[in-house]
Amino acid sequence: MLRPIASLVRPGRDLRVDFIRGLALWFIFIDHTPGNLLGSLTLRNVAFMDATEAFVLLAGFASGLAYGRMLEREGWASTAARVAGRCGTLYVAHIFLFVVFTAQVGFSAAALDQAAYLDELALDPFGDDPYRAMLEALLLRYQPHFLDILPLYIVLLAMFAVALPLVRRPLALLGVAVALYLAARWLGLALPAWRRSAWFFNPFAWQLLFIIGVVLARADPAWLAKRFPWHRGLAVLAILVLAAVAVALNLVWHGPARGWYPPEPLAAWVATVDKTGLHPARLATVLVAVWLVAHLLPAQARFLTSRWAAPFVLMGQQSLPVFCASIALSFLGRLALEASDGVAMLAAVNLAGLAALVAVGVVAAWYSGEGRRKPTPSLPAGPGTATP
Amino acid sequence: MRNPAAALLLALALGLTPPGIPESRAQPAVAQPADVCAAPAEAMDAAPLPGVFAAVARGELRIMVVGSASTASGGTSSTAATWPRQLQARLAARLQGVMVRVEVFGGRGTTAADHARIIAGEAPRLRPHLLIWQLGTVEAARGLPAEEMSDAVQEAAARLTATRGELTDLVLMDMQFSRFFRANANVEPYLDQLRIAAAASGAQLFSRWALMKHWVDIERLDLERAPRDRRKAVADELHACIAGVLTAFILDGIERDHR
Repeated sequence: MLRPIASLVRPGRDLRVDFIRGLALWFIFIDHTPGNLLGSLTLRNVAFMDATEAFVLLAGFASGLAYGRMLEREGWASTAARVAGRCGTLYVAHIFLFVVFTAQVGFSAAALDQAAYLDELALDPFGDDPYRAMLEALLLRYQPHFLDILPLYIVLLAMFAVALPLVRRPLALLGVAVALYLAARWLGLALPAWRRSAWFFNPFAWQLLFIIGVVLARADPAWLAKRFPWHRGLAVLAILVLAAVAVALNLVWHGPARGWYPPEPLAAWVATVDKTGLHPARLATVLVAVWLVAHLLPAQARFLTSRWAAPFVLMGQQSLPVFCASIALSFLGRLALEASDGVAMLAAVNLAGLAALVAVGVVAAWYSGEGRRKPTPSLPAGPGTATP
Repeated sequence: MRNPAAALLLALALGLTPPGIPESRAQPAVAQPADVCAAPAEAMDAAPLPGVFAAVARGELRIMVVGSASTASGGTSSTAATWPRQLQARLAARLQGVMVRVEVFGGRGTTAADHARIIAGEAPRLRPHLLIWQLGTVEAARGLPAEEMSDAVQEAAARLTATRGELTDLVLMDMQFSRFFRANANVEPYLDQLRIAAAASGAQLFSRWALMKHWVDIERLDLERAPRDRRKAVADELHACIAGVLTAFILDGIERDHR
C-alpha cells in the first residue's frame, strides 16, 4: 500500500525538509486533540519547542525555495502577486475552519445541556455577541482556541511578499527580521486582538523563524556546511543541554507532585519562557535542533526514500491541504475524545486521523499532477520546485 | 478506599496530633463513609505547611479562599455545600479546640488579576494562615495570556511573603476537569503554567483537575455526565469529596511540618 504513495513523492528536493514537515503536521494534529495520549510523546513535553516552530521554519524554507526561484525568473511584482494569492487561499481556509469550529463548540455545548458548573466557560462568543464575533473573526482579531496558526501564517506570508526584494540580500533581510523581532520583544510591538491584549502568536516575533527558513533555503548548501561544520564536542554539548532542559522542564511540571521540588529561581525562569513572543530560549532550541538534524540526517539518507517515510514526505510536500485537513480533522477527533477517551477510541482517532491526513496528501499530489510526472533520475539534486 | 496510598495518608492524617495541642483536641481515627473519595497519590503529596502548623498550635486557623464560579457555587444546592464551607466544617471537626475560620472571595468570571487585587486588599486585614487560590478556568476559557496569570501569582506570593513571612501558606487550586472544556479550550498550557507558578512562588498545587479526572476515570464521580435532575446532588457530592481530600492534604502538610 505504501509503494503507490512513494511513487507520488516529488523527487529532486531535500526530502528531509518534507519528511520533518510531514511529521510536524502530524504532531499538530495530535497536539490539537487534547486528551490524546500521544500528546505526551510530542516535542513540547521535552523541549522549549513544538511542532509550530518546525512548521513555521520549514514554511519559510519552502517559501524561500519556491518564491526565490520565481523571483529570479519573473521579478518582484509577479512573485508578490503569487504570494498574495496564497495569502488569500489561506484566509479563505481559515474562515472555513472558523465556521467549522463554531459549529463544533455549539454542538458540544448543546450536547452538554449547559451544565451549571460550566457557566464560566463562555467558549462561544457567538452566544453573547454574534455579529461582533463574526466581524472580529474576519478581521483575524478573534482567533478561537486551536485556530491561531493559520492567521500567523497568513501575516507571515504577507510580510514576506513585502520583503521579497530583500531575498537576494540575505544579510539585510536577516537584519530587518532581527530588528523586528527585538521590537516585538522589547517594545511590545504586536497585533491587537479582541477580548485579549494581542494575538497568541505575535507575527512580528515569529517572522524571524520564517525568515531564517527563507535564508537557509536560499543559501548554498556547501557554503552552509562550511560555515556551520559538524563538531563532535559541540554536538555532545548541545545534546546534553537539550537533555538538561528536558529534565528541568519535567522537574518543574511534574516534580512537586512527586515530592521533588525544583529551585524556585529555575521555575521562575521557566515561567518567563513565552511562546507568544518566541522567547530566545525557544528560538535557540529550534536553531540547535536544525543544526543537529542537518548533520545527523544526511539529505541522501536511504530512510528518506523508503516507503515508511513516504507518507510523511508526501504530507510535507502537500502541506497546505494537509494542514487545513489536520485542523478540520482535529475537530472530529476532539468530539470523539469528548465522547470517550478509552484506549479503543484513542487508537481509532489516531489511526483514522493519520490515515485521513495521508489520504489528503495523496489526493492533493495526484490532483496537482505531481504523480503523473515521471521521476527522472537526471534531475539535479538540490533545491527543485517547491510549494510553500 | 480504593487507593492504598491515599488510605495510608488519610490514616496518618487521622492519627495526627500537632505538638502544643492537648491530646484531647485531636480526634480519634474515625473514617466516615461519606468521606470515601480516594485520591491518586500524586494529588495528595503535600509539602510542609508551616503557617498552618503554627496557627493550629496556637488554636486559631484563618483560611482565605479566593476563586471563581466553581468555588463560589459550582452548581451545588447551597453555599453550605460548596467545598470551602465543607472544608471549614471538616477541619473544625478534625482539629478539636482549634477555631477554624474560612472566608471566601471572588466569584463568577473573576481572573487571577482580579484575585490578586482582592488578596492585596483583604489579606492585610484577615492575616490568613492559609490562602487557597483557585484559578485558571477563566483564563483558559477566554484564552488570556497564561504568563500574565503566573505573573499575578508570583507577585501576590512575593507580597505575601514580604508582609507575612512564613505565617501564610499558599495553595493553588487548578481547574475542574471537564471533557467539554478540554475539547474546546487549549487547557494544557494553563495547567502547565499553574504548576510552574506554584513551583516559582513556593506555593503548593492542589490539582483538582487530576483529582476529578481520576474520579471520572474510575467512574466514581462524573458531574458532566450526571443526568439533569441529579446534577445538584452530584455537585454537592463532588464538593464534599474535594473538601475531604483537601482536608487530608492540609492535615498531611501539618504532619510533615511536625516531622
